[in-house]
Amino acid sequence: MAQVTIYSTPTCGYCKMAKAYFTENNVAYTEKDVSVDAVARDDMIKKSGQLGVPVIDVDGTLIVGFDKPKLAQLLGLA
Amino acid sequence: MVYDLIIVGSGAAGLSAAIYAGRYRMRTLVIGDAFGGYTTIAGPIENYPGYRKIDGFDLMMNMRAQVAELGGEIQEGRVSELKKEGSGCFTLKTQNGKEYFANTVIIATGTEHRRLGLPNEKELTAKGVHYCVTCDGPLYKDKTIAVVGGGDSSIKGVNLAAEFAKKIYIIVRGNKIATEPINYERMQKLGDKIEVIFQTEVKEIHGKEKFEKVVLSKPFNGSTDLAVDGLFIEVGLIPRSELITMVGIELDERKYAKADAMMRTNIPGAFVAGDIFNLFEGFKQDITAAAMGAVAATSAYEYYKLHGDLCILHAKAPTV
Repeated sequence: MAQVTIYSTPTCGYCKMAKAYFTENNVAYTEKDVSVDAVARDDMIKKSGQLGVPVIDVDGTLIVGFDKPKLAQLLGLA
Repeated sequence: MVYDLIIVGSGAAGLSAAIYAGRYRMRTLVIGDAFGGYTTIAGPIENYPGYRKIDGFDLMMNMRAQVAELGGEIQEGRVSELKKEGSGCFTLKTQNGKEYFANTVIIATGTEHRRLGLPNEKELTAKGVHYCVTCDGPLYKDKTIAVVGGGDSSIKGVNLAAEFAKKIYIIVRGNKIATEPINYERMQKLGDKIEVIFQTEVKEIHGKEKFEKVVLSKPFNGSTDLAVDGLFIEVGLIPRSELITMVGIELDERKYAKADAMMRTNIPGAFVAGDIFNLFEGFKQDITAAAMGAVAATSAYEYYKLHGDLCILHAKAPTV
């Protein structure tokens, strides 16, 4: 099972889409709310070099935005 | 695959059209490359009748469930080709090579964010320059941001970002804020946290690895430089009219689709709905998009009843 972490904000629609996708496909994930978690925010900026959400980490591979085809490929759902 | 109706666009207009088409028992497919359209990133919606307050994403998920309950299919994909065959049947191709046939089509591809068109804007996007306050605004906790634009989506975004940011400048080209009075009242309650810079434009965007400052068209507090942590651009929308043009639908002078009040275009069997059509001039809301979708589906149904299955040749099983 892939280790999935999503860096999100509570009001971000694309983050909600990504989480709904995980739930529909029974993908377990860890969520880090970067609006309140400063450590996670810095971690996300350091890893992705940018400030847009969502950022999704699948086993160390980063995806910026809700790129469903790429996620499906990394999660073996394609 | 052959459908009675294919709807391109899965925002409020497209999904509303699919709900009505489902009730008309039309074989319906919705294809969209951005589920829910702008509503999914609009944050809380408080003016859609029946909901005192609902998140835009949840509203779209409810519409999606309603479409599915009525037998409509929803697929993600970008339609790259649309044409009408001599038989009257429409053929659609997606970027990933799938081909579909439809007796009628509704184009509800909506709009996309207008950019300022300045150097560095693209390079610094998501590095301090943003187009979605509801998405990225919360990242600027205790920071100073500037929002460019004084329209409804801009002020809604300001009101949301004010929960996080310590100071927000609103840069407005004209001399007034054009938002719903309820949003204006909320903005006023934010007091000194908000400062509106009227009759001013952003002329330059500066930054290397990260956005640093903007240069204004005229001095503010004695300087044309305005250094802020984040820049949010909300300067209006432009129509996504590629497919409209491709299938031969006439455009108005602003490149929006031309249609009548029943959403009929100059191409028989092709209808439009939502923000791609300026029926209510600049007034673009979920309720107007949904209403246009309902009307477009009704017109498509009436057309289909009159003309029957124009894609019947495509419905035949392929011969070996």
